Amino acid sequence: MLDQNPIGPDGRRRRVLVAMSGGVDSSVAAALLVEQGFDVVGVTMQVWDYSSCDLEEGNGTCCSSLDVDDARAVADRLGIPFYVANCEAKFKASVIDPFVNSYLQGQTPLPCVNCNTYLKFDHLLDRMRELDCDFLATGHYALIEMDAHGRPGIVTSEDDWKDQTYFLFTIDPEIVPKLMFPVGHLRKPEVRALAEKHQLLNARKKDSVGICFVGSQGYANFINSQISPEQRPQPGVVRLYPSGEILAQHEGVHHFTYGQRKGVGVATGQPVFVLKIDPATREVWVGEEKYLMSDRVRVQDLRLVDSLGEGERLRVKIRYAHKGSYARVNRSEDGRSAELVFEEPVRAVTPGQAAVMYRESRLVGGGWIV
Amino acid sequence: MFFTQSGKRRIYLDHNATTPVDDEVLARLSSWAIEWGNPSSIHVFGRGPKARLRDARDLVAKAIACSPLEVVFTAGGSEANNMALKGTMAAARARGDQRRHILISALEHPSLKRAAQSLVRDFAAEIEIIPVDRSGQVKVADVQSRLRPGQTLLVSVMLANNETGVLQPVREITQVVHAAGALMHTDAVQALGKIPVSIRELDVDLASFAAHKFYALKGAGALFHRKGVALEALIDGGGQERFRRGGTENLLALSSFGYMCSRIGEVNERAERMRRLRDEFESQVRQRIAGVSITAATSPRLPSTSSLVIPGVDGETLLMALDMDGFAVSTGAACSSGSPEPSPVLLAMGLSRDEAQASLRVGIGWSTTSSDLNEFLEALVRVVERLRSLRGFQMPQARDESCDVLEQVVEHA
Repeated sequence: MLDQNPIGPDGRRRRVLVAMSGGVDSSVAAALLVEQGFDVVGVTMQVWDYSSCDLEEGNGTCCSSLDVDDARAVADRLGIPFYVANCEAKFKASVIDPFVNSYLQGQTPLPCVNCNTYLKFDHLLDRMRELDCDFLATGHYALIEMDAHGRPGIVTSEDDWKDQTYFLFTIDPEIVPKLMFPVGHLRKPEVRALAEKHQLLNARKKDSVGICFVGSQGYANFINSQISPEQRPQPGVVRLYPSGEILAQHEGVHHFTYGQRKGVGVATGQPVFVLKIDPATREVWVGEEKYLMSDRVRVQDLRLVDSLGEGERLRVKIRYAHKGSYARVNRSEDGRSAELVFEEPVRAVTPGQAAVMYRESRLVGGGWIV
Repeated sequence: MFFTQSGKRRIYLDHNATTPVDDEVLARLSSWAIEWGNPSSIHVFGRGPKARLRDARDLVAKAIACSPLEVVFTAGGSEANNMALKGTMAAARARGDQRRHILISALEHPSLKRAAQSLVRDFAAEIEIIPVDRSGQVKVADVQSRLRPGQTLLVSVMLANNETGVLQPVREITQVVHAAGALMHTDAVQALGKIPVSIRELDVDLASFAAHKFYALKGAGALFHRKGVALEALIDGGGQERFRRGGTENLLALSSFGYMCSRIGEVNERAERMRRLRDEFESQVRQRIAGVSITAATSPRLPSTSSLVIPGVDGETLLMALDMDGFAVSTGAACSSGSPEPSPVLLAMGLSRDEAQASLRVGIGWSTTSSDLNEFLEALVRVVERLRSLRGFQMPQARDESCDVLEQVVEHA
């Protein structure tokens, strides 16, 4: 049995460290834990040097000091201790730098997974232990449930639309019993209603969209701001597949993402999509939508949250917004990579994104698309 | 605020950040606030407040051994530091003095460092930093070798450092500064109330003070400036503070400042008491926590400050854990101030980033008792053990221990 009662067997109130972003989900998560009788401690990760952002731009993203202020105000409202953990160096090394490099290599990165892997479920997990806490809670839309054998695992949230298990595939299964997702059984409108009920100031705050540290400046500008002029991707050409005809010049491969239609900047008379980005030759290949379809996907750095049968048929999401398609999962001999063979071809398989596998609603694991 | 969730009384050991308001100050607040008139008013409502302001100024001047005419009231230490630099530089320019070289120590408070930086922008000043070593003390020779007679306008070295408590040889530095024809400023914010401070003895030209580090209210401070040292106002207004600082005076806070200055005679005895507590704490902490070192232990220090480096712990986490246990201390590591860097003061002294990240500042005050420190020590030992075991920390052999032994021998010599 998964014992996540507010009072431990020794009669002591259990302590939970709640990762508070300043957003409504983690705020309500904290409020619910307080209501349930846990000894709750709030922490916000200071991940980005907001002194270099202008305030307007920072507003409503998880990297701004205003969000730290919101988290603090919620903690004050709930009467819980609140701390800011300085994670700027770690965030830069494990989230920002890989994000920038990934774009420079013609991929479309997924920084939220790295943030979970190296900060929320690593750095904060250390903090949880160091601050003598029993659990670590976040505002993720996900559930923790036992399987038939009594093993705790991660399961998709009640709210299908908000489900965030896609970002959680790198979690070490050992730590799952230590985690709590207090809003995972709720739908977003219910979360907002609870925020109103608890009079949390961010009840109506807009959801964060896109990537928190990029802001309104756009990816290409952000990447340019992070690299020296010499590192900047050089202009290249856009070629039509399969003819090889040069359609246009481009400003650098980091302006493109697989499957992208708009912004290709070429007029061919019929819609074309980005099929392949080759940073070595600086070529961007475009073509008809049918060429975007593929039925085989290779993933590396395979991580498993649950056990995986040989050649097992699982539902696989190849991007966050993907509903999922069925595939056979064939692991490599060393278990570190896998080939996914889809029953129906999937559209725009994008290197740098994750392929995340589910057995019904249960998160099995995932890997990085190559 | 004063009790933990489990009902335990919280213990405050961060007196370098701010001090609690003295009970006698609290008891007098409404009697001061009731005299709400404007001190600049000619009518009867202004007279009482004007007298209170004069009393406060006389008391502050007496406490630091200067003339009341040499005291400009400010909103606090940061303003006094800003005024000392910007006001002096602007006044020099106004009279055609073209000197633009300014020396400040590497230990200075951000308000002073940033004010100095603004002079680079606004007056094309050249700011030179006087380095420090692990002793945490500025060497007179390091000042002397950097002075440029005819070019150096001002030198600023704090009296006591806020993080390590190390006392600076301000009087000796002043002598060489004056010999070079430059002005001498000292930020004495951390010193007032912890050790006797005499302007006459220090012989400086400018000195900054803050009321809230001395058991009075926030929002009051003072800049001493020697008679004849020209100073431009930062804030222009209705002629308050003899045109040196505009704005209706914060009489409530200034009254509390004056009142505490009337008790300056207690400082010697209080300092001795704090020193005994601090020394006992340091000796205990060395016995109980392996590998701990006390920064600048052999330098002359404030009697109330201990800056510890505790290998194998992260200062930020230590601070949080102690806060939850009901103990308020501070760290030289990055903190909620949002600054990503470890303490610039500790780094300037040559501590490594790891050491600075593993630092903890204990600032005891007038009301600290030995049982407070014993309780704190027990909590610290417990938390450090837990943090170290979670990190699988093993005390490195040889190097650190030999250093510690040496340090102790020297200290007791």
